[in-house]
Amino acid sequence: MTEPVITTRAFFERARAGQLTAVRCGSCGELAIPPKELCPACHARAWQPVPLVGEGTIASFTVIRVAPRAHAADAPYAIAVVKLQEGVSILGRIVDIPLDKVAVGLPVRFRPLGSQDQTSVGFGPLG
Amino acid sequence: MRRVAVIGVGVTKFGLHDRTSAELFADAAGDALTDAGIPASAVQALYYGNVVGGETEHQLHTGPQAASVLGIPSVPTTRFETACASSHAAFRHAVMEIGAGVSDVILVGGAERVLNVSTAESTEYFAYASDAVWEQPLGLTFPGVFALIARAHMEKYGTTEAQMAAVAVKNHRHGALNPKAQFQKQITIDQVLRSAYVADPLKLFDCCPFSDGGAAVVLASEEVARRHRKPVWVLASAAASDWMLLGDKRDLARVPATERAAAAAYRQAGLGPTDVDVVELHDCFTIAEIVATEGLGLVEPGAGGRAAETGLTSLGGEVPVNPSGGLKAKGHPIGATGAAQIAEIVTQLRGEAGPRQVDGARTGLTHTLGGNTATVLVSLFGRD
Repeated sequence: MTEPVITTRAFFERARAGQLTAVRCGSCGELAIPPKELCPACHARAWQPVPLVGEGTIASFTVIRVAPRAHAADAPYAIAVVKLQEGVSILGRIVDIPLDKVAVGLPVRFRPLGSQDQTSVGFGPLG
Repeated sequence: MRRVAVIGVGVTKFGLHDRTSAELFADAAGDALTDAGIPASAVQALYYGNVVGGETEHQLHTGPQAASVLGIPSVPTTRFETACASSHAAFRHAVMEIGAGVSDVILVGGAERVLNVSTAESTEYFAYASDAVWEQPLGLTFPGVFALIARAHMEKYGTTEAQMAAVAVKNHRHGALNPKAQFQKQITIDQVLRSAYVADPLKLFDCCPFSDGGAAVVLASEEVARRHRKPVWVLASAAASDWMLLGDKRDLARVPATERAAAAAYRQAGLGPTDVDVVELHDCFTIAEIVATEGLGLVEPGAGGRAAETGLTSLGGEVPVNPSGGLKAKGHPIGATGAAQIAEIVTQLRGEAGPRQVDGARTGLTHTLGGNTATVLVSLFGRD
């Protein structure tokens, strides 16, 4: 067994501190977020953690109006796939942007969303 | 590999039932065995699809449970769980087992019961098929997954909400001809467009319903099948997977697992998309039918919306898609869906589909998608 370069737990600890982290393959240079065991491009096991700028643009989005029970109080809320500056994409909750202003191509910035022991990926306005 | 045939099919009506999923499966399986004209004692294995039994019925171990309720407790049985593609995955396994000469007769089926819980609960349980660490905590739902795909498709190809609505209207028109369908009434484009948003840009009438129901098919080796009426041959059965996370999918407007499973199935059968006469595909949402017609090669990428609008995919059109009414109108008891699609194609290829019959259909295709597009099964069927 090899010690993982960055566990899910470590990812969210860094996220809680405001730092979005990816991993870069030491063999072929592939960038991945969230971390995986093997490089999907070359199957090497040689990741290095890479801090990301945390800025990107909305690639696609939806406004959830019928929510699962745990999120019913939040509805309606926007979820987006955000393409980060470095080229990788990640799903996040959109916060502090009016729902009618959420659009494909809109620049956004990473923002950790927290509730007790659970941190999740959010994105807010760039400015 | 030996040739494999479907020799019997059975499907319950889809919709609200006051029966357990095992009872619904057993009902369909009894019909499938009668249709095949073989005794239950001939069945050598049961492969079974059931997805949220643990959540809605507090029932795991649903393979042997279903076999027991049917009354064939001693056959080897396994539950397959690939979200909405579960019984199609079970089917592929059975095809390989008979093809390899291990068994001669296998029962495949599935069932689901979800209408005994609230919509908020079932919405949550279905969301369990997306990632529990990276996606569920954001409040992602299944309409949400396909809404992200729809938005990407609209951006890339100019697909419109009216084109998506045309898929719903077509499938309801087909469903009105199917006595087993959950919705047997026609709807208009206006009704779809005026329905409330569930996850923008998808509205209530872009979504398939929650459904209870069961389906079963009997598979047999060529030697056994030759002794029975109208065998429908399995020409191919292929599976493919893709990244779980939406963020890992490079192009949300495409479904690579559909493209890979279709390519493998066409290769196995030595056929191409233009050889297919009738299709049952996974229209859990209207956009899902659009991307599936493209991924299966029935239309060019980006042309799926127009195909629904112009009638290309309607009964009487060039490639009729979802003559059963599809998941949209027939209903979507998720564990049963793959087997129910296969049952429809077998019925079509036998020429027994009544008012929804595709005239002269000789080659059929079924496509079932699991969850967030991470699982796809494609099978091809033909008749003598």
